[in-house]
Amino acid sequence: MGPASGGIVIEHLVKRFGERAVVDDLNLHIQPGELFVLVGPSGCGKTTTLRLLAGLEPVSDGRIYFGERLVNDIRPRDRNVALVFQDYAIFPHLTVFENIAYGLRARHAPRNLIRERVANAARLFRIEHLLGRKPRQLSGGERQRVALARALVRDAALYLYDEPLANLDAQLRHQAREDILTLHRQKGQPAVYVTHDQAEAMALGDRIAVMRDGKLQQVGSGLDLYERPCNQFVAFFIGSPGINLFEVEVHPDQDGGLRLVHPAFRLPVPEEFQARVAPYTGRRLNLGIRPEHLQPPKRADFAVSEDSTIRGLVNVIEPTVSGCTVYLSTLEPTPRDFVATLKARLPGSYLGREVPLAVNLRKIHLFDPEDGQALLHGPLATDDRPIRVTVSPSGEPANGPAEQPTSERETSEASTQREEQA
Amino acid sequence: MTSLRLEHIVKDYDGPGGRQPALRDISLEVGDGEALAIVGPSGCGKSTLLKVVAGLEFPTHGRIYYGDLDMTEIKPQDRGVGMVFQDYALYPAMKSKGNLAYYFEHHAYTHEQMEERVRRTAELMGVDFQHLLGRFPETLSGGEQQRVAIARCIVRDPTIFLMDEPIVNLDAKRREQTRIEIKKLLRTFHVTTLYVTHDQQEAIFMGDRLAVMRAGRIEQVGSFDDLYYTPVNLFVATFIGSPPLTVLPAALSEGRLHIAGQSWPLPEDLTGRLPSGPLRLGVRAEHWLRDQPDGLPLEISHSERIPTERIALVHGHWLGQRVIVSLPLEEADGSPGLQRLRPDWEQLLYFAADDEHLLYSPGPPALF
Repeated sequence: MGPASGGIVIEHLVKRFGERAVVDDLNLHIQPGELFVLVGPSGCGKTTTLRLLAGLEPVSDGRIYFGERLVNDIRPRDRNVALVFQDYAIFPHLTVFENIAYGLRARHAPRNLIRERVANAARLFRIEHLLGRKPRQLSGGERQRVALARALVRDAALYLYDEPLANLDAQLRHQAREDILTLHRQKGQPAVYVTHDQAEAMALGDRIAVMRDGKLQQVGSGLDLYERPCNQFVAFFIGSPGINLFEVEVHPDQDGGLRLVHPAFRLPVPEEFQARVAPYTGRRLNLGIRPEHLQPPKRADFAVSEDSTIRGLVNVIEPTVSGCTVYLSTLEPTPRDFVATLKARLPGSYLGREVPLAVNLRKIHLFDPEDGQALLHGPLATDDRPIRVTVSPSGEPANGPAEQPTSERETSEASTQREEQA
Repeated sequence: MTSLRLEHIVKDYDGPGGRQPALRDISLEVGDGEALAIVGPSGCGKSTLLKVVAGLEFPTHGRIYYGDLDMTEIKPQDRGVGMVFQDYALYPAMKSKGNLAYYFEHHAYTHEQMEERVRRTAELMGVDFQHLLGRFPETLSGGEQQRVAIARCIVRDPTIFLMDEPIVNLDAKRREQTRIEIKKLLRTFHVTTLYVTHDQQEAIFMGDRLAVMRAGRIEQVGSFDDLYYTPVNLFVATFIGSPPLTVLPAALSEGRLHIAGQSWPLPEDLTGRLPSGPLRLGVRAEHWLRDQPDGLPLEISHSERIPTERIALVHGHWLGQRVIVSLPLEEADGSPGLQRLRPDWEQLLYFAADDEHLLYSPGPPALF
């Protein structure tokens, strides 16, 4: 089968194991040449989706197209899909050369073509010197490169990666990501990459789809998902360290404004958000603050007022490339953990001390505690495809509303809200 | 609570190729209540070291002291250590509370003491830990099981706490949450701890100090700042810091630095501090200067956006060498300034080309 020039189309895909829908009405269009990442916590259905694409599991309902071709009933080997697994799936009894050549031999490729392609792939992944060895003589990183080289020599219509970097040391991962991108660009074919690590998703994907409980939550670039999460779950899942979530109550102010009230603070609602928040007066909302939107008042690059700060006890200071991450807890009787990423290194002498942090109020997120839907910065309607977005509250809210029934809305609805807001 | 001291520990194994040293002369001190993170690539001996401290392996040579007590010959069950491994090993037939209380039921404690200790531990484990207590291990997720395992360890008031990759099996998001819980527990209970991991970021987070191991030896022990700003050699420099530092082969002659056919004058401050001849330059992602008259173009291969830090890590080629450059988020896809890029010579780490030891480092930056 030739390249999937029309990309990969997934329509109303369902996979049930018994009563349980592990993949629940999934709709995606993966563009030709796109590296598309499926991300979500364990058990969200991302790996099952990958197996459905490969044909390793029969679908329960819905359709999968490679270009124009419906592949639901096509056997795995005839789908011409290349797979790179977490455990690399290389044959222990074969040499590195034979492992790389395996797919070509199985397709009866001529001998000189095999030799040439294996040599090229080995050079690209820096394993030329290992071609005569057996897998057990290789390190984890080398084995992973053998698996990539094996995928490279094939001309597959679709490349599927199932957590291929999960077993690698942190220091090898940066290099391995580069290798995967190299492979992807050389092939120019669509690829689907599954991971539970949002940082990996952000580093690799042209677009990222966040899944939860078998359902698609949101599709977009890494920055889209980060800055405009459609719901509390996506806000929580994307970004590391994660978004700070607080359960707040909306109270009217003496001077006609609104405040977000929590035992640890009373934050004024910025004017541009008041209309959206007003219907919740007297009710609860979940407030989300990204770690970079908490800064020392004197160093903040945004407007600071006395009542826009949260005080916290410094528990841990972790150095980062650009400054540090500070882990704090609020000062009320049942303290709540929160995190700030600062642009300068906080000296160790602040450990165990109380500090005020100013909140960048214009960057806060608010979520409806019932359905988890984002109130302020929902996704932009840039996607032309009718992708259904399911919203449900995050599994990790501030003081924990238990699991809520999920409800569904269309992205178009979210975008209407955006326009209203503008 | 107690301190820990290792003196000249050697551990040999009988392998297929004869006697093989797993630990070669390790000496180490961990203060009372201190958490020391031991980090190194797989096979460096870090897990063996932990087993030797626990008494699960006996050293070929050397002594182990808990405080002033020589523990070298003492059986593991008499050392009073608490251990947490990557597999959680809970008693499956007991609810979480039973797992926590088991030890007390088999030692001389009153029911009240047990209840009190379990309650206090559960309180410190966080708001949602209480409702784990009534559940059986098989109904718990990996993260929840590991939290119970850690709580079970803490509840026993161990003399020394040993952890070997305790969160490696959790998914990324869960790992992020669990490590802060562990850290707070260690702070609160002030337990002397050895924490083994292959992940330098986790080591930085968990350890008050870090020990970097390679091939059975400790290369360096110190704070993150010691290891980051004054690594003893290129191995430590490469291992500590994310993204990994870029290593550029270079040569110094007549006051000029030569890299891949180009050359730059060495800043005055550095002349006299570096020997002429071949060198290795250690360039961290934040050590690059844009828009320099004597800069050269960066050819971008891909950009990794890190919105929480408002930066992008740009991977690419500079003078034909693979490099990683930290840039403001807005410049992730390139900017004119990247056409004239070069390292900030005064910030770099300079290593010897032969044995890769540190020749010069500017040390920690002066912030104020």
